[in-house]
Amino acid sequence: MVAETSSAGAERGVSLQTLLAHPQARLLVGLAAVLLFLIAWQIVGAGEIVRSDLISYPTEIIRTFFSMAASGELTTNAAVSLQEFVQGFVPAVLVGVAIGTGFALSRRLRAMFEPLVIALNTSPIIAFVPIVVVWFGVGLQSKSVMVFLASVIPVIINTTTGIGEVNEAWIRACRAFGARRRQVVMKAILPGALPSLMAGIRLSVGRAVVALIAAEMYVSVRGIGRLIQVYSTSDRAAEIFVLVAIVSSFGFLLVTLLRRVEDWLAPWKRDS
Amino acid sequence: MGALLLDRLSLTYEQRSSGSSFLALSEVNLAVRDGEFVTIVGPSGCGKSTLLMLIAALLQPSKGSVRLNGTEVTGPGSDRALVFQDFALLPWRTVLANVELGLELKGIRAAERREIARRHIAMVGLRAFERHYPHQLSGGMRQRVGIARALSVGPEVLLMDEPFGALDAQIRQVMGSELLRIWERDRKTILFVTHDIDEAIYLADRIIVMSASPGRIIEDIPVTLARPRPLEIRNSPEFSVYRQRIWDLLEEQVRASGSWEQEGAKH
Repeated sequence: MVAETSSAGAERGVSLQTLLAHPQARLLVGLAAVLLFLIAWQIVGAGEIVRSDLISYPTEIIRTFFSMAASGELTTNAAVSLQEFVQGFVPAVLVGVAIGTGFALSRRLRAMFEPLVIALNTSPIIAFVPIVVVWFGVGLQSKSVMVFLASVIPVIINTTTGIGEVNEAWIRACRAFGARRRQVVMKAILPGALPSLMAGIRLSVGRAVVALIAAEMYVSVRGIGRLIQVYSTSDRAAEIFVLVAIVSSFGFLLVTLLRRVEDWLAPWKRDS
Repeated sequence: MGALLLDRLSLTYEQRSSGSSFLALSEVNLAVRDGEFVTIVGPSGCGKSTLLMLIAALLQPSKGSVRLNGTEVTGPGSDRALVFQDFALLPWRTVLANVELGLELKGIRAAERREIARRHIAMVGLRAFERHYPHQLSGGMRQRVGIARALSVGPEVLLMDEPFGALDAQIRQVMGSELLRIWERDRKTILFVTHDIDEAIYLADRIIVMSASPGRIIEDIPVTLARPRPLEIRNSPEFSVYRQRIWDLLEEQVRASGSWEQEGAKH
């Protein structure tokens, strides 16, 4: 009897597992869970089971989004945040790749500066906000500097790792067919390191967004982080949820876009 | 023309950290005629791959010289092309782009190198796979790409470093007969390193048997089996005579050096 029950249980487990093996089924199960959560939230919030000014609820959040969008406060503040982000992120990628390549090619450079990079990587970047504001003022520049600091480190680390992991056979093939040093870099090392480099850029998106919002919340005149800070002092949960959703969507879209670029640049990594 | 002359070729590896040195190759003398198919066999670690790297000039000899058609070899060049055991294809390049690599490095214009690459891809039977990436191909197909890449630069000598060593036994035999088919069209000089005795006999005009470390040439065996050679030739009595002779030579070397036990440690 006991054996029979346990074998029936195992069978059920297997069938759920085979169902989850289908990507579409997995997506459906995931969406169902999200939907369930939203319905529960709606009931608890709209039914005032918990004070709705503290937790809000989905339909109120959607309504708030449209009114905020109509008033124009979303676009003006999002534009400021986006500008700060781009001004910090693009230089971080360029500088990070350059420093990372330097580390990979020069043992001396690496020995000198790698401890500093590792220390920065594990330090809470947000703690630098006050000092960065003192140095760069309360305007856009200090936020861009925060974005730069948060994102440059993962780019450096992944570039160095990527170049270090370049397969010796790729370099050997180029050399055997007469490649000079610069050609080896262009035809074997850089394309070989690209996937890891792109992964570093992707990783740094999240860190950069967090640093940006935190810096804006600390001190700023405009920006999504500034709005979050303002609404949080007046217990406006719906507005805060709208703003957080916008920030998350931005990060999600950018990461997805970068992944697409990665697949396009490194098709052999996608299929394997 | 692809006549090779190796004159007292030696290579010593200097261990910088310990100050000790290791003699990998000792006074190798070898003359290869134009159009000859020479296979090289020897126990593991005897320096047979090192010999090819020296001819390709990816390594510099400590003593002696390599001459190709009378001219001393001083650096890598498209008159010698390598085929590697691990294929060494670039995974981000399609079959076509991989075959174009050598032509690119030779500075040949895009249109022309595409045409040359296509011709060689067709020669190895991969016309339908030009747009595929290496990871989408089987091992045998990948090595066909490696062979097309090497032939496309128009080398005088083809240097093959255990090219079929990573393939299954059956594919390996088929690849061997394919290689002979390609070779018989234009009879390029080939130096082919292998540790498979049957493969060495089946392919060769001449078999070079090398000693255990430090590598020296201990025997130079002409193979007089008629060409073209069907795969079944391996079952013929003449073939067995060659097989026994090489086996005896290698067994002696392996026993003398104890390299059987070291094999695992060397790889």
